Amino acid sequence: MTPDTARVYCPVCQAKFRFVEGWGEGDEAVCPICGQKLRLRSGADGWVGARVAPMTEKEIRYRAENFAKVRGYHFSDVKEDVIEGLVGKQRRFGDFYCPCRMLHTPEYQCPCKPTRGGDVDREGRCHCGFFWK
Amino acid sequence: MDKKIKVYALSTCPYCKRTKRFLDEHKVPYEHTDVDLLDDDEQEVVLSEIERLTGKRAFPVVLIEAEVIVGHDEERLRKVLGL
Repeated sequence: MTPDTARVYCPVCQAKFRFVEGWGEGDEAVCPICGQKLRLRSGADGWVGARVAPMTEKEIRYRAENFAKVRGYHFSDVKEDVIEGLVGKQRRFGDFYCPCRMLHTPEYQCPCKPTRGGDVDREGRCHCGFFWK
Repeated sequence: MDKKIKVYALSTCPYCKRTKRFLDEHKVPYEHTDVDLLDDDEQEVVLSEIERLTGKRAFPVVLIEAEVIVGHDEERLRKVLGL
């Protein structure tokens, strides 16, 4: 039995989201905070999501599409250039960091912390011009 | 075009590419540095210089003599370059 308060840890946004009743070991779920597709596993410290197709273009495309859908954002005509930049960041710096910043820490994995925190709602777009209100 | 132009960019940044493409299309000669491709020590020196000039570390940065343009801004480029 999983208690109602159970949470799943997302390694991308480094936050926990609510575990939905009916989920189980090995199931796929989407992080409602950053849009990452995760495979669920139960560990000593609770539920953890493992990134599905990690470090692939497919992963970042899926994450970005999910994030935009959850937040009601859209993309502009630079979408494909930003994806190319994100893939370049992953190749050179090890993960999908903002392509328009020189910051390579977990909070700047796309969608970055300022974007997850509402920058698009406040500014109309994210720093890189990827997500638009 | 006799103005000395310097572009600081990131190799992964789409707006940096647009700025370089704009200058290329208008046959404006310029020097450019992809800051993310520099060695660590050199990168820090350049980033500090960008921060000194602009107050932040945002890209692209276009230096046209005394003018500093941050971000891809075709209107300002046209105005400053007289295009």
